[in-house]
Amino acid sequence: MKYGLFIRGQYRANETNMNARFEELMEQVRIAEQLGFDDLISGMHYAGYPLQQFQLIPFLSRAMAETRHMRLITGIVLLSLHKPLDIAEQLSSMDVMSGGRLVFGCGLGYREVEFKGFGTTTKERVPRLIENLEAIKKLWTEDHVNMKGSHFELSDTTLSLKPMQKPHPPLWMGANADAAVRRAAEIVDTWFINPHQRMDTIERQLQIYKKALDDFGKPFPDELPMMREIFVAETRDKAKQIARPYLEEKYKVYHQWGQDKAMPKGDDNLDLDFDELTKDRFLFGSPDEVAEQIISYEKRLGVTHMVLGMQGVGMPQSQMLDSMHLFAEHVMPQVASA
Amino acid sequence: MTRSQYTRTEDMTARFEELLQQVRLLNALGYDSFAKGNHYSSDPFYEFQQLPLLCRLMADAPDMRLIAGIVLLALHKPLEIAEYFATMDVMSGGNLVFGAALGYRDVEYKAFDIKKGTGVKRFEQNLEAIRRLWTGERVNMKGDYFELDNASVSMPCVQNPHPPIWIGANADVAVDRAARIGDAWYISAHHRKDTLYRQVEFYKRCLEKYKKPYPTEWPLRREVYIADSREAAIDAVRPYLGLKYSTYHAWGQSGPMPQGDTLGLEFDDLLQNRFIFGNANEVAEEIIDYCRLLGTNNFITSCQWPGMPHTMVMENIEMFAKDVIPKVRQGL
Repeated sequence: MKYGLFIRGQYRANETNMNARFEELMEQVRIAEQLGFDDLISGMHYAGYPLQQFQLIPFLSRAMAETRHMRLITGIVLLSLHKPLDIAEQLSSMDVMSGGRLVFGCGLGYREVEFKGFGTTTKERVPRLIENLEAIKKLWTEDHVNMKGSHFELSDTTLSLKPMQKPHPPLWMGANADAAVRRAAEIVDTWFINPHQRMDTIERQLQIYKKALDDFGKPFPDELPMMREIFVAETRDKAKQIARPYLEEKYKVYHQWGQDKAMPKGDDNLDLDFDELTKDRFLFGSPDEVAEQIISYEKRLGVTHMVLGMQGVGMPQSQMLDSMHLFAEHVMPQVASA
Repeated sequence: MTRSQYTRTEDMTARFEELLQQVRLLNALGYDSFAKGNHYSSDPFYEFQQLPLLCRLMADAPDMRLIAGIVLLALHKPLEIAEYFATMDVMSGGNLVFGAALGYRDVEYKAFDIKKGTGVKRFEQNLEAIRRLWTGERVNMKGDYFELDNASVSMPCVQNPHPPIWIGANADVAVDRAARIGDAWYISAHHRKDTLYRQVEFYKRCLEKYKKPYPTEWPLRREVYIADSREAAIDAVRPYLGLKYSTYHAWGQSGPMPQGDTLGLEFDDLLQNRFIFGNANEVAEEIIDYCRLLGTNNFITSCQWPGMPHTMVMENIEMFAKDVIPKVRQGL
């Protein structure tokens, strides 16, 4: 099992010293590498009110300087908002600067304020995602690309820099709805299972994913990553008690943003009370309990890769570091020995 | 100015390690800032992208300001740029300068879906939106190519109200625009000196017209190389700088330049009155001359062009800091 630390980097609107928060995040990155985490990962949102948030590409590019081994994962780029030449060039530079440690995760997005801000619509998001990804793959692997998309034209275009990884960095795709899971099987290297789907939903969708892989004649991926919200303390009650206020705040905002609308039927409500929300969704507990759950993900689902979100909105640095240490020193070895 | 352009036969991982060494040296020698330009599809060069490169290099230059010099602003959406550069301002502790200009290459305009003739409008609307996002709480603004619907940046800048906004401008009409919408006109490396004298007077008249103050910080960029003599400097850089300018001319950079000037010249004609070459004394005197006559007070030098060996760059960074900067300080 491999482990990625998801740095959400989200803070309350009234947090005034973001530079100090940034220094704390850099400390988390250094400690994560020392503790043996395999990957560093962060997400993308624009106009994040009422939260403050660091932007994905600048953040990962800067955080890279604190790492030597960890892979850097964009988790995820809201691909329909962007132009393929832009994303292909930014990520190529990041891959070269990091010595070939980039993973390109992408997905659709769902917020009106973002689509409008980028002069696009919800309706256009699927065709744009598909053609953007096709263009990025071409730009990463070919010279003098010619391709006319619905919102761009590549005319004898050669990337300023190709990625270091050949033919290109691994492609992950976040997918909520069943149709998106099938699309992930078709056009990327692996499905990046999101943090807020229930276990029974994932089991059902994994069947859809496998069937789609068969349909497209593709093997099951070597790497199946899953993200979970996690918090480790001496006991489950204590873990839940510490993490609760910060996670509750985050999920309230995501519910307001409309995240549920993107989720599969029957599991499309994040406006639940906390106990209901966390059930079969989040990983809270003692090191033993958390290890047991991770082992079950590996056995039941074939997950090879846990991406862990630990710091809810406003959680103090000391609590975050405690949880990271408990996880690395007590959970990782237990999972390894199982 | 870190151009970070290389010929397409280079080992870019090795070149990147050299860039880190250059930036560490700049920081140690007390340079104030480093700058990086912006191009896409840079064939026949290899080039690092501005945004990730500046973010990565900032870690190795904790005392320096970062200059995005410049962002091709017409290509992008304002929410994106306002957010990226706010994050950079915060990560760098308020050390960012935001430079912006139009761009001119078809390959870039097509890839970003910008129709000919709409660049100026996009540029101006984008800059207005970015200023409002950086200074306001929630923004409602309907542009021709975007809509801000109660949108706000995910994080305010450290610098209040926002980082300095420098505008790159070639033609007179662009200089007028820089006076109207920018905090300073960022003078390019390729303007001829005689053109500059004329345009600087023009810029000052534009500032008066718009009732704007003279910029407190006024940047001038020049290509600079120091050797034992002017001839030795020219011989040393000829293969590298010549390639750069012939490529930019082929890209169409001469198009937006002021009337009567072009980059489509033989190298020896190109460098006349444009680039600063010589021994340390000559270089210092010329910089003093520029600053006195133009009134610029922030000098941005570049001394690396595609294919130039790292050792030459390191030597020039060191010579400039030790032999030129003290003389300029004394002379001004």
